[in-house]
Amino acid sequence: MEKSFMSNEELKNTAFMARLDIKDDKEKEKYLKDLNNMMAYIEVLQEPDISNLKPTTHVTKLRNVWRDDIVKPCPQEVREQILIAAPDKEGSFFKVKKVIEAQ
Amino acid sequence: METINLTIEEMQKEFAKGALTSVEAVKNCYKRIDAVNPKVKSFLQIRKEKALKAAAESDAKIKAKTGGALEGVPIAIKDNFMIKGEIMSSASKYLENFISPYDADVIEKLKKAGAVFLGRTNMDEFAMGGSTENSAYAKTANPWDLERIPGGSSGGSASAVGSRMAPCALGSDTGGSIRQPAGFCGVVGYKPSYGLISRYGICALASSFDQVGTFSHTVKGTAKIVSVISGKDYRDPVCEPNDYIDYTDGLDNASLKNIVIGVPKQLNEYETDAAIADAYKDALERIKKQGAKIIEVNIPAYKYVPALYKVIMCAEVSANIATFDGIRYGYRSPNGISLNDEYAKSRAESLGYEVKKRILFGTYVLGAKNYYRCYHQAQRVRTLLINQIEEAYKQCDMIFTPASLQMPVKFGESLREESDIFIMAANLAGLPGITVPCAFSPKNAPIGVHFLAKRLDDANLFKAAAAYEKVAGFDNSKLPM
Repeated sequence: MEKSFMSNEELKNTAFMARLDIKDDKEKEKYLKDLNNMMAYIEVLQEPDISNLKPTTHVTKLRNVWRDDIVKPCPQEVREQILIAAPDKEGSFFKVKKVIEAQ
Repeated sequence: METINLTIEEMQKEFAKGALTSVEAVKNCYKRIDAVNPKVKSFLQIRKEKALKAAAESDAKIKAKTGGALEGVPIAIKDNFMIKGEIMSSASKYLENFISPYDADVIEKLKKAGAVFLGRTNMDEFAMGGSTENSAYAKTANPWDLERIPGGSSGGSASAVGSRMAPCALGSDTGGSIRQPAGFCGVVGYKPSYGLISRYGICALASSFDQVGTFSHTVKGTAKIVSVISGKDYRDPVCEPNDYIDYTDGLDNASLKNIVIGVPKQLNEYETDAAIADAYKDALERIKKQGAKIIEVNIPAYKYVPALYKVIMCAEVSANIATFDGIRYGYRSPNGISLNDEYAKSRAESLGYEVKKRILFGTYVLGAKNYYRCYHQAQRVRTLLINQIEEAYKQCDMIFTPASLQMPVKFGESLREESDIFIMAANLAGLPGITVPCAFSPKNAPIGVHFLAKRLDDANLFKAAAAYEKVAGFDNSKLPM
């Protein structure tokens, strides 16, 4: 199987998926170098025989966590605290840029 | 009264006798902070006024004999725990002005028990790192050698306790972030079983590894804090539904007699600094002398630990950091021209390189094309490691290793990647681990050893560590600086 490799194009796609801006070519080169070094980790993990093993998703014994179905309203004070932290707001809403753009 | 050398237990004894007040103890901490913090830079912010007020309230409660389990005890808090109304930055520019809207569960529990918060301590940005050099704000030094790293990511908390600015501290541990710096700074550092302590209100790194833990100078002091902060919390869905457990129970008479201690065969495969190898050998002898049985255990999958950790941690990082979108809180770039552009620029402008690199690697290993070969494969190899550790636990009670195979390096240098794999395995398998200081190197730097127990066997872990601590021969009265 082909080894994992981060190409220029792949980095661009990955950065878009992560919604992470890459500043300039210098930063891009640094990412490519470091990330391709990290690809060695993926190769190492192809070594062992794990054909009979299931992936670990939890280290706890899976169990249901039950609680009574009681609505606990968010105290006004907490609402206010949360809105204080908003970079931009209008009334009791977070304000964001237009989501749907004209193509 | 001189208090900076007191353990939590000793301090509480003096409180109870009326020989010492919490206000006095807290003032002494700040005196020490004033003298030492400019050099060590453990604290990002102190909260003197609030702490002294809380200490005075504690003194009244102690006097009236209505105090909680940690009434009046000063404690330092890592900068990724939310304290209502106060800044929590996780040492990131993204959260520079973030004011916590509520208390973390452990903060709630500590407040109820009467602990007094001294201030927030430095860390690697979002706990990503092992040296505290990745902080966006300050470079914390090792109090025993100011040119060297304190370890990390909880390097601020470890160095604050190591330099006696605080008798104890909270930290978080995702891949050794408490137990490695504890060894480097000469203190006891503990990470519980996954699920023992609630993480509600703590800034997440990798959710299947993250745990809250502690720093202090004794195992008993550690157990005391853990008795307070552990226990059920429905707001962290993986939190075990335990009621109160007193982890200090039986520690005074704890013994290593007939305990079977496993020493991994794989220790021989990695380079270990001579001072650490000597100290570890000596520690093993002392344990043997107490009647423990030492056996060799074989866990070949240790060699996959660095790769496993990187792949799974980065995947979880990319998911967790996705919540930092600049919309609801944190930094929002003024340069965005569309919503997507605003997300991308907000992160790019406010996050450090290490964080961004991990996000990209994590996004890559979770990508539809790579998922099976990368993330899914890693989780299967993780099962292999867990199975081998479980197999080892059929023959032994605890696994015993050095806390790090390497002494702290100078700023700008890196530790060998294998230096912490034996403590990192605890996070991959959800196991409890504790670092106990064992010796000083010829250059006067502390060295720690590490006990790893079975999951939810934390009480026995404390007992073994407490029994060892009694015979470790570590001089706890020695002060750095």
